[in-house]
Amino acid sequence: MCNGRAIRYTFFAGPIWPYPMEVDEPDGHDHADDATLARRIAAAPGDAAAETELYRRLAPRIRLYGLKHLRDAQAAADLAQQVMLLTLERLRAGKLRDAERLASFVFGTCRMQVLDLRRTGARRARLLDRYATAPQVEEPAAALGLDHARVAECLDRLSERERSVLVMTFHDEQPAREVAAALGLSEGNVRVIRHRGLGRLRDCVNGEGEPP
Amino acid sequence: MKPVHCANAVPLATLLEYWLDELDEAGDARIAGHLLGCAACSANLQGLLDLAGGVRAAMQAGLLQVVVPDAFLERLAARGLRVREYAVAPSGSVNCTVGPDDDLVVARLGASLAGVGRLDIEQASSTRAQVERMRDVPFDSSAAAVILAANTGQLRALPASTLRIRLLDVAPAGERLLGEYTFHHSPHPGAGRH
Repeated sequence: MCNGRAIRYTFFAGPIWPYPMEVDEPDGHDHADDATLARRIAAAPGDAAAETELYRRLAPRIRLYGLKHLRDAQAAADLAQQVMLLTLERLRAGKLRDAERLASFVFGTCRMQVLDLRRTGARRARLLDRYATAPQVEEPAAALGLDHARVAECLDRLSERERSVLVMTFHDEQPAREVAAALGLSEGNVRVIRHRGLGRLRDCVNGEGEPP
Repeated sequence: MKPVHCANAVPLATLLEYWLDELDEAGDARIAGHLLGCAACSANLQGLLDLAGGVRAAMQAGLLQVVVPDAFLERLAARGLRVREYAVAPSGSVNCTVGPDDDLVVARLGASLAGVGRLDIEQASSTRAQVERMRDVPFDSSAAAVILAANTGQLRALPASTLRIRLLDVAPAGERLLGEYTFHHSPHPGAGRH
Protein backbone atom coordinates (compact mmCIF):
# COMPACT_ATOMS: atom_id res chain seq x y z
CA MET A 1 0.00 0.00 0.00
CA CYS A 2 2.74 2.45 0.89
CA ASN A 3 5.61 1.17 -1.20
CA GLY A 4 4.52 2.86 -4.39
CA ARG A 5 4.94 6.24 -2.73
CA ALA A 6 1.49 7.21 -3.92
CA ILE A 7 0.71 9.96 -1.49
CA ARG A 8 -2.72 11.48 -1.13
CA TYR A 9 -3.24 14.81 0.53
CA THR A 10 -6.23 15.82 2.53
CA PHE A 11 -6.87 19.41 3.49
CA PHE A 12 -8.83 20.25 6.56
CA ALA A 13 -11.72 22.58 6.03
CA GLY A 14 -11.21 26.03 7.45
CA PRO A 15 -8.17 28.05 8.30
CA ILE A 16 -7.03 26.14 11.37
CA TRP A 17 -4.73 23.63 9.73
CA PRO A 18 -3.34 24.90 6.45
CA TYR A 19 -0.80 22.13 5.83
CA PRO A 20 -1.43 19.09 3.67
CA MET A 21 -1.82 15.87 5.63
CA GLU A 22 -0.27 12.74 4.18
CA VAL A 23 -2.73 9.94 4.81
CA ASP A 24 -0.87 6.98 3.32
CA GLU A 25 1.25 4.76 5.50
CA PRO A 26 4.89 5.83 5.61
CA ASP A 27 7.71 3.36 5.03
CA GLY A 28 8.61 3.58 8.64
CA HIS A 29 12.41 3.57 8.34
CA ASP A 30 13.17 7.25 8.01
CA HIS A 31 10.37 8.78 9.99
CA ALA A 32 11.27 10.67 13.07
CA ASP A 33 9.50 9.61 16.23
CA ASP A 34 7.07 11.84 18.11
CA ALA A 35 9.62 13.18 20.57
CA THR A 36 12.16 14.06 17.89
CA LEU A 37 9.51 15.97 15.99
CA ALA A 38 8.43 17.74 19.17
CA ARG A 39 12.04 18.83 19.77
CA ARG A 40 12.32 20.08 16.19
CA ILE A 41 9.17 22.18 16.55
CA ALA A 42 10.32 23.59 19.88
CA ALA A 43 13.75 24.43 18.48
CA ALA A 44 12.46 26.05 15.28
CA PRO A 45 8.87 27.26 15.57
CA GLY A 46 7.40 27.44 12.09
CA ASP A 47 8.99 24.17 10.93
CA ALA A 48 5.97 23.26 8.81
CA ALA A 49 7.36 19.89 7.78
CA ALA A 50 7.83 18.81 11.39
CA GLU A 51 4.40 20.10 12.38
CA THR A 52 2.74 18.33 9.47
CA GLU A 53 4.48 15.08 10.28
CA LEU A 54 3.60 15.29 13.96
CA TYR A 55 0.00 15.99 13.01
CA ARG A 56 -0.04 13.05 10.63
CA ARG A 57 1.24 10.77 13.37
CA LEU A 58 -0.79 11.99 16.32
CA ALA A 59 -4.14 13.11 14.95
CA PRO A 60 -5.42 9.59 14.07
CA ARG A 61 -4.60 8.40 17.60
CA ILE A 62 -6.43 11.33 19.15
CA ARG A 63 -9.38 10.75 16.84
CA LEU A 64 -9.54 7.13 18.07
CA TYR A 65 -9.45 8.35 21.66
CA GLY A 66 -12.31 10.68 20.78
CA LEU A 67 -14.32 7.94 19.08
CA LYS A 68 -13.94 5.73 22.13
CA HIS A 69 -14.85 8.38 24.66
CA LEU A 70 -17.37 10.44 22.69
CA ARG A 71 -18.81 7.78 20.32
CA ASP A 72 -19.29 10.40 17.64
CA ALA A 73 -17.17 10.72 14.49
CA GLN A 74 -17.57 14.48 14.11
CA ALA A 75 -16.86 15.13 17.77
CA ALA A 76 -13.77 12.89 17.52
CA ALA A 77 -12.52 14.84 14.52
CA ASP A 78 -13.09 18.10 16.40
CA LEU A 79 -11.18 16.70 19.36
CA ALA A 80 -8.21 15.77 17.17
CA GLN A 81 -8.17 19.27 15.71
CA GLN A 82 -8.37 20.99 19.08
CA VAL A 83 -5.84 18.83 20.87
CA MET A 84 -3.32 19.12 18.06
CA LEU A 85 -3.74 22.87 18.00
CA LEU A 86 -3.10 23.11 21.75
CA THR A 87 -0.16 20.72 21.50
CA LEU A 88 1.50 22.64 18.68
CA GLU A 89 0.94 25.96 20.42
CA ARG A 90 2.57 24.57 23.53
CA LEU A 91 5.52 23.22 21.55
CA ARG A 92 6.01 26.42 19.55
CA ALA A 93 6.00 28.45 22.75
CA GLY A 94 8.65 26.19 24.22
CA LYS A 95 6.38 25.31 27.12
CA LEU A 96 6.64 21.58 26.68
CA ARG A 97 10.25 21.24 27.78
CA ASP A 98 10.50 17.49 28.07
CA ALA A 99 9.60 16.14 24.62
CA GLU A 100 9.49 12.62 26.04
CA ARG A 101 6.42 13.72 28.00
CA LEU A 102 4.55 14.59 24.81
CA ALA A 103 2.18 11.60 25.06
CA SER A 104 1.34 12.49 28.68
CA PHE A 105 0.56 16.05 27.68
CA VAL A 106 -1.62 14.88 24.78
CA PHE A 107 -3.40 12.40 27.05
CA GLY A 108 -4.13 15.03 29.69
CA THR A 109 -5.34 17.48 27.06
CA CYS A 110 -7.58 14.83 25.52
CA ARG A 111 -9.18 14.11 28.87
CA MET A 112 -9.88 17.78 29.54
CA GLN A 113 -11.24 18.39 26.06
CA VAL A 114 -13.48 15.33 26.23
CA LEU A 115 -14.95 16.60 29.49
CA ASP A 116 -15.63 19.94 27.78
CA LEU A 117 -17.13 18.35 24.69
CA ARG A 118 -19.32 16.10 26.83
CA ARG A 119 -20.63 19.12 28.71
CA THR A 120 -21.29 20.91 25.41
CA GLY A 121 -22.88 17.77 23.98
CA ALA A 122 -25.13 17.33 26.99
CA ARG A 123 -26.23 20.93 26.71
CA ARG A 124 -26.91 20.50 22.99
CA ALA A 125 -28.83 17.28 23.63
CA ARG A 126 -31.00 19.02 26.21
CA LEU A 127 -31.78 21.81 23.74
CA LEU A 128 -32.57 19.35 20.96
CA ASP A 129 -34.73 17.39 23.32
CA ARG A 130 -36.63 20.50 24.14
CA TYR A 131 -36.91 22.23 20.77
CA ALA A 132 -36.32 19.77 17.98
CA THR A 133 -35.89 16.16 16.97
CA ALA A 134 -32.30 15.03 16.65
CA PRO A 135 -31.47 13.73 13.18
CA GLN A 136 -30.81 10.01 12.97
CA VAL A 137 -27.19 9.55 11.97
CA GLU A 138 -26.52 6.19 10.41
CA GLU A 139 -23.08 5.06 9.40
CA PRO A 140 -23.18 4.30 5.67
CA ALA A 141 -22.14 0.69 5.18
CA ALA A 142 -20.53 1.46 1.84
CA ALA A 143 -18.16 3.94 3.47
CA LEU A 144 -16.41 1.23 5.43
CA GLY A 145 -12.91 0.24 4.48
CA LEU A 146 -13.17 -3.54 4.41
CA ASP A 147 -14.81 -5.65 1.73
CA HIS A 148 -17.89 -6.73 3.67
CA ALA A 149 -18.59 -9.61 1.29
CA ARG A 150 -15.20 -11.01 2.27
CA VAL A 151 -15.99 -10.44 5.95
CA ALA A 152 -19.30 -12.27 5.45
CA GLU A 153 -17.50 -15.21 3.82
CA CYS A 154 -15.10 -15.40 6.75
CA LEU A 155 -17.90 -15.12 9.31
CA ASP A 156 -19.63 -17.97 7.52
CA ARG A 157 -16.63 -20.18 8.23
CA LEU A 158 -16.81 -19.65 11.99
CA SER A 159 -18.75 -21.79 14.40
CA GLU A 160 -22.36 -20.76 15.06
CA ARG A 161 -21.50 -19.46 18.52
CA GLU A 162 -18.51 -17.49 17.30
CA ARG A 163 -20.59 -15.91 14.54
CA SER A 164 -23.48 -14.93 16.82
CA VAL A 165 -21.15 -13.57 19.50
CA LEU A 166 -19.05 -11.54 17.04
CA VAL A 167 -22.09 -10.15 15.23
CA MET A 168 -23.61 -9.04 18.51
CA THR A 169 -20.32 -7.69 19.82
CA PHE A 170 -19.41 -5.71 16.72
CA HIS A 171 -22.77 -4.69 15.35
CA ASP A 172 -23.91 -2.86 18.44
CA GLU A 173 -20.66 -2.74 20.39
CA GLN A 174 -22.14 -4.90 23.10
CA PRO A 175 -19.93 -5.87 26.05
CA ALA A 176 -19.55 -9.52 27.00
CA ARG A 177 -22.01 -9.16 29.88
CA GLU A 178 -24.86 -8.14 27.58
CA VAL A 179 -24.04 -10.63 24.85
CA ALA A 180 -23.98 -13.37 27.48
CA ALA A 181 -27.36 -12.40 28.87
CA ALA A 182 -28.96 -12.28 25.41
CA LEU A 183 -27.54 -15.58 24.21
CA GLY A 184 -27.91 -17.59 27.39
CA LEU A 185 -24.15 -17.99 27.88
CA SER A 186 -21.86 -17.12 30.76
CA GLU A 187 -19.81 -13.93 30.50
CA GLY A 188 -16.59 -15.90 30.71
CA ASN A 189 -17.73 -18.21 27.95
CA VAL A 190 -18.56 -15.23 25.73
CA ARG A 191 -15.07 -13.79 26.27
CA VAL A 192 -13.48 -17.11 25.28
CA ILE A 193 -15.71 -17.50 22.21
CA ARG A 194 -15.15 -13.86 21.26
CA HIS A 195 -11.38 -14.10 21.56
CA ARG A 196 -11.15 -17.29 19.52
CA GLY A 197 -13.60 -16.07 16.91
CA LEU A 198 -11.92 -12.69 16.57
CA GLY A 199 -8.54 -14.29 15.92
CA ARG A 200 -9.99 -16.63 13.33
CA LEU A 201 -11.97 -13.88 11.64
CA ARG A 202 -8.99 -11.55 11.46
CA ASP A 203 -6.72 -14.27 10.07
CA CYS A 204 -9.30 -15.17 7.44
CA VAL A 205 -9.95 -11.56 6.40
CA ASN A 206 -6.21 -10.94 6.20
CA GLY A 207 -5.79 -14.13 4.19
CA GLU A 208 -3.51 -15.62 6.85
CA GLY A 209 -3.39 -19.15 8.20
CA GLU A 210 -5.55 -22.09 7.33
CA PRO A 211 -9.21 -21.47 6.60
CA PRO A 212 -11.20 -22.13 9.77
CA MET B 1 -0.11 -1.93 5.39
CA LYS B 2 3.39 -1.69 6.78
CA PRO B 3 4.25 -3.97 9.68
CA VAL B 4 3.91 -2.19 12.98
CA HIS B 5 5.86 -3.01 16.10
CA CYS B 6 5.55 -2.31 19.78
CA ALA B 7 7.71 -3.84 22.47
CA ASN B 8 4.73 -3.81 24.87
CA ALA B 9 1.96 -4.43 22.37
CA VAL B 10 -1.55 -4.40 23.82
CA PRO B 11 -3.15 -7.79 23.08
CA LEU B 12 -6.07 -7.74 20.66
CA ALA B 13 -8.43 -9.04 23.36
CA THR B 14 -7.48 -6.13 25.63
CA LEU B 15 -7.95 -3.63 22.81
CA LEU B 16 -11.45 -4.98 22.35
CA GLU B 17 -12.15 -4.83 26.08
CA TYR B 18 -10.93 -1.24 26.07
CA TRP B 19 -13.17 -0.35 23.15
CA LEU B 20 -16.21 -2.00 24.73
CA ASP B 21 -15.66 -0.20 28.06
CA GLU B 22 -15.05 -3.49 29.85
CA LEU B 23 -11.91 -2.33 31.67
CA ASP B 24 -11.94 -0.61 35.02
CA GLU B 25 -11.05 3.08 35.18
CA ALA B 26 -7.36 2.50 35.84
CA GLY B 27 -7.11 -0.08 33.05
CA ASP B 28 -8.93 2.19 30.65
CA ALA B 29 -6.58 5.09 31.40
CA ARG B 30 -3.50 2.87 31.08
CA ILE B 31 -4.53 1.63 27.63
CA ALA B 32 -5.68 5.09 26.48
CA GLY B 33 -2.33 6.60 27.49
CA HIS B 34 -0.41 3.83 25.76
CA LEU B 35 -2.43 4.18 22.55
CA LEU B 36 -1.85 7.93 22.35
CA GLY B 37 1.88 7.33 22.44
CA CYS B 38 2.01 4.22 20.27
CA ALA B 39 1.39 4.22 16.53
CA ALA B 40 1.60 0.43 16.34
CA CYS B 41 -1.10 -0.37 18.91
CA SER B 42 -3.22 2.47 17.62
CA ALA B 43 -3.07 0.94 14.15
CA ASN B 44 -4.11 -2.40 15.65
CA LEU B 45 -7.12 -0.75 17.27
CA GLN B 46 -8.02 0.89 13.98
CA GLY B 47 -7.78 -2.53 12.32
CA LEU B 48 -10.16 -3.92 14.92
CA LEU B 49 -12.64 -1.12 14.23
CA ASP B 50 -12.38 -1.73 10.50
CA LEU B 51 -13.22 -5.37 11.14
CA ALA B 52 -16.18 -4.33 13.29
CA GLY B 53 -17.34 -2.05 10.47
CA GLY B 54 -17.10 -4.95 8.04
CA VAL B 55 -19.23 -7.13 10.32
CA ARG B 56 -21.84 -4.37 10.64
CA ALA B 57 -21.91 -3.85 6.90
CA ALA B 58 -22.21 -7.59 6.21
CA MET B 59 -25.09 -7.88 8.67
CA GLN B 60 -26.91 -4.84 7.31
CA ALA B 61 -26.44 -6.07 3.75
CA GLY B 62 -28.18 -9.32 4.77
CA LEU B 63 -25.16 -11.45 3.90
CA LEU B 64 -25.15 -13.52 7.07
CA GLN B 65 -27.08 -16.51 8.28
CA VAL B 66 -26.93 -16.19 12.02
CA VAL B 67 -28.94 -16.86 15.16
CA VAL B 68 -29.74 -13.63 16.98
CA PRO B 69 -31.71 -12.71 20.09
CA ASP B 70 -34.87 -10.62 20.16
CA ALA B 71 -33.16 -7.53 21.55
CA PHE B 72 -30.79 -7.51 18.59
CA LEU B 73 -33.70 -7.48 16.14
CA GLU B 74 -35.26 -4.60 18.01
CA ARG B 75 -32.03 -2.62 17.70
CA LEU B 76 -31.85 -3.31 13.96
CA ALA B 77 -35.40 -2.03 13.54
CA ALA B 78 -34.58 1.01 15.66
CA ARG B 79 -31.72 1.78 13.26
CA GLY B 80 -34.23 1.86 10.43
CA LEU B 81 -33.51 -1.54 8.87
CA ARG B 82 -36.51 -3.19 7.26
CA VAL B 83 -36.85 -6.61 8.81
CA ARG B 84 -39.35 -9.08 7.37
CA GLU B 85 -40.24 -11.68 9.98
CA TYR B 86 -41.99 -15.04 9.66
CA ALA B 87 -43.08 -16.57 12.94
CA VAL B 88 -43.81 -20.28 12.70
CA ALA B 89 -44.99 -22.69 15.38
CA PRO B 90 -43.66 -26.27 15.58
CA SER B 91 -45.13 -28.32 12.71
CA GLY B 92 -46.31 -25.10 11.14
CA SER B 93 -45.76 -23.76 7.66
CA VAL B 94 -45.79 -20.36 6.00
CA ASN B 95 -45.72 -18.83 2.52
CA CYS B 96 -42.78 -16.49 2.35
CA THR B 97 -40.79 -14.20 0.12
CA VAL B 98 -38.21 -11.44 0.27
CA GLY B 99 -39.25 -8.00 -0.92
CA PRO B 100 -37.04 -5.66 -2.90
CA ASP B 101 -36.95 -3.24 0.03
CA ASP B 102 -36.30 -5.81 2.73
CA ASP B 103 -32.92 -5.49 4.41
CA LEU B 104 -33.27 -8.65 6.41
CA VAL B 105 -35.52 -11.71 6.59
CA VAL B 106 -35.78 -13.67 9.82
CA ALA B 107 -37.54 -16.85 10.85
CA ARG B 108 -38.91 -16.96 14.38
CA LEU B 109 -39.06 -20.65 15.19
CA GLY B 110 -41.33 -21.24 18.16
CA ALA B 111 -40.05 -23.91 20.54
CA SER B 112 -39.80 -24.85 24.16
CA LEU B 113 -36.10 -24.72 24.90
CA ALA B 114 -36.09 -25.50 28.62
CA GLY B 115 -33.76 -28.37 29.40
CA VAL B 116 -32.12 -28.36 25.98
CA GLY B 117 -28.38 -29.07 26.14
CA ARG B 118 -27.10 -28.55 22.63
CA LEU B 119 -29.25 -27.09 19.90
CA ASP B 120 -28.73 -27.85 16.21
CA ILE B 121 -30.64 -26.42 13.26
CA GLU B 122 -31.09 -28.61 10.21
CA GLN B 123 -32.18 -27.16 6.88
CA ALA B 124 -33.38 -29.15 3.86
CA SER B 125 -34.24 -27.22 0.72
CA SER B 126 -36.02 -28.56 -2.34
CA THR B 127 -33.31 -26.84 -4.39
CA ARG B 128 -30.41 -28.67 -2.74
CA ALA B 129 -29.58 -32.33 -2.40
CA GLN B 130 -27.68 -31.85 0.83
CA VAL B 131 -29.12 -31.17 4.24
CA GLU B 132 -27.30 -28.31 5.99
CA ARG B 133 -26.70 -28.39 9.69
CA MET B 134 -25.87 -25.52 12.01
CA ARG B 135 -24.31 -27.14 15.05
CA ASP B 136 -24.42 -25.96 18.63
CA VAL B 137 -26.20 -22.67 18.04
CA PRO B 138 -26.47 -20.30 21.01
CA PHE B 139 -29.90 -19.97 22.56
CA ASP B 140 -31.62 -18.63 25.63
CA SER B 141 -33.38 -21.51 27.35
CA SER B 142 -36.00 -19.14 28.73
CA ALA B 143 -36.91 -17.81 25.27
CA ALA B 144 -39.97 -19.08 23.44
CA ALA B 145 -38.33 -19.11 20.02
CA VAL B 146 -35.09 -19.30 18.09
CA ILE B 147 -34.57 -16.41 15.68
CA LEU B 148 -32.65 -17.23 12.55
CA ALA B 149 -31.59 -14.38 10.27
CA ALA B 150 -31.32 -15.57 6.68
CA ASN B 151 -28.80 -14.65 4.03
CA THR B 152 -31.05 -12.26 2.12
CA GLY B 153 -28.84 -12.26 -0.96
CA GLN B 154 -29.17 -16.03 -1.30
CA LEU B 155 -32.93 -15.84 -0.68
CA ARG B 156 -33.35 -13.33 -3.49
CA ALA B 157 -31.69 -15.73 -5.92
CA LEU B 158 -33.95 -18.65 -4.97
CA PRO B 159 -36.65 -19.91 -7.34
CA ALA B 160 -40.00 -21.03 -5.91
CA SER B 161 -39.00 -23.72 -3.44
CA THR B 162 -39.66 -25.29 -0.08
CA LEU B 163 -37.35 -25.16 2.91
CA ARG B 164 -37.80 -27.43 5.90
CA ILE B 165 -36.10 -26.43 9.12
CA ARG B 166 -35.79 -28.74 12.11
CA LEU B 167 -34.72 -27.76 15.60
CA LEU B 168 -32.92 -30.60 17.38
CA ASP B 169 -31.97 -31.11 21.00
CA VAL B 170 -28.70 -33.02 20.72
CA ALA B 171 -27.63 -35.18 23.65
CA PRO B 172 -25.15 -38.06 23.98
CA ALA B 173 -28.09 -40.45 24.12
CA GLY B 174 -29.48 -39.17 20.84
CA GLU B 175 -31.45 -36.38 19.24
CA ARG B 176 -34.89 -35.05 20.09
CA LEU B 177 -36.95 -33.12 17.58
CA LEU B 178 -38.13 -29.85 19.07
CA GLY B 179 -39.99 -28.63 16.02
CA GLU B 180 -40.22 -28.77 12.26
CA TYR B 181 -41.04 -25.67 10.23
CA THR B 182 -41.89 -25.42 6.54
CA PHE B 183 -41.28 -22.34 4.42
CA HIS B 184 -42.86 -22.16 0.96
CA HIS B 185 -40.77 -19.56 -0.78
CA SER B 186 -41.85 -17.60 -3.86
CA PRO B 187 -39.80 -14.90 -5.53
CA HIS B 188 -41.33 -11.50 -4.85
CA PRO B 189 -43.60 -10.27 -7.65
CA GLY B 190 -41.71 -6.99 -7.63
CA ALA B 191 -38.30 -8.67 -7.93
CA GLY B 192 -36.32 -7.44 -10.91
CA ARG B 193 -38.28 -4.21 -11.17
CA HIS B 194 -35.89 -2.39 -8.79
